[in-house]
Amino acid sequence: MRDGWDDEQLLGALREAMRAREAVPSWFVEMGKNAYAWHNIDAELAQLTYDSQADTEQLAFVRSETASIRALTFTSAHLSIELEVGQDSLLGQVIPPQAGMLETYTKAGQATSPVDESGYFAVEPTPPNPFRLRFHTSGGADVVTGWITL
Amino acid sequence: MRDDPTVVALVTRAAGSDQGAWDEIVDRYAPLVWSICTGFRLSNHDIEDVAQNVWLLLVGQLGTLREPAALPGWLATTTRRECLRVVTLSRKSERLGTELDEAAQFVADTVVDEEILVAERNAALRAAFAELPPRCQQLLSMLLRDPPCSYGTISATLDIPIGSIGPQRARCLERMRKSSALLGLIEVGVNFPGGDPGA
Repeated sequence: MRDGWDDEQLLGALREAMRAREAVPSWFVEMGKNAYAWHNIDAELAQLTYDSQADTEQLAFVRSETASIRALTFTSAHLSIELEVGQDSLLGQVIPPQAGMLETYTKAGQATSPVDESGYFAVEPTPPNPFRLRFHTSGGADVVTGWITL
Repeated sequence: MRDDPTVVALVTRAAGSDQGAWDEIVDRYAPLVWSICTGFRLSNHDIEDVAQNVWLLLVGQLGTLREPAALPGWLATTTRRECLRVVTLSRKSERLGTELDEAAQFVADTVVDEEILVAERNAALRAAFAELPPRCQQLLSMLLRDPPCSYGTISATLDIPIGSIGPQRARCLERMRKSSALLGLIEVGVNFPGGDPGA
């Protein structure tokens, strides 16, 4: 500001700033604050790169019987986690195949499932929304997905 | 990009283990992330996905951000990239070509610099307001309401004579103008909304 804001301009700018803040839902801000729980957890983030539901919605008018299994893929720089979401369980595979541990984080806490040498794992029952999966190996691989809401 | 000592201090503290500093970062810049997401016309579900990733990426990089002062720019760029990822993912399933993706990229590039400036200005204004004494905050809040409270209502609510509302308003705004949060902003010549008086 070359000449400084006069009172009306300052009040107008402040009004705009307050409106911008009020437009943001509180869940959005809370979610951001909660992300700090992951501070100092040195895991690589795997992002959603495939969701079968996006296809199913498009094809629903063609296929009256849509598949009940939903498939998701999360990809990080070093590995992928493929998921099949069933009613009773979450089945998945780590690609490239490797053994390790899979932790499922929910708002209620966390549970651990083994991942076998072929990279397969099962989480039973299907965790409640939202949840995150973290895969790590003794060799140092450590990958975590974003929060998943099915 | 201005070198905001507040942002640098917040990032440094959050990189330690200061949840309060992190909360303040989120409070300051959630409107920036939000406005970029809504600019892409994402659903709430997709916005959640994008924002989760943006904040998680930031949490993971707090200690290694090369220029903490450039945090708003980093947030804007990362949010835009995450939005494009979500948009591309859904477009893939809609079997649309790359033309739309390129259009989205173009729009995002041109919009984002302006958004960073506005977000920084707004964050500074809110910080300056938060530094005001409670009486000033009450008075200005009533004046900022839409429609603004009448002087009669303000006089009755805050128990001050109608005649001193104007002078108090001026004093509060002057105080705000001189706050450290706003001085940094005014020095680098950020324009007020609605036009440039010098143009």
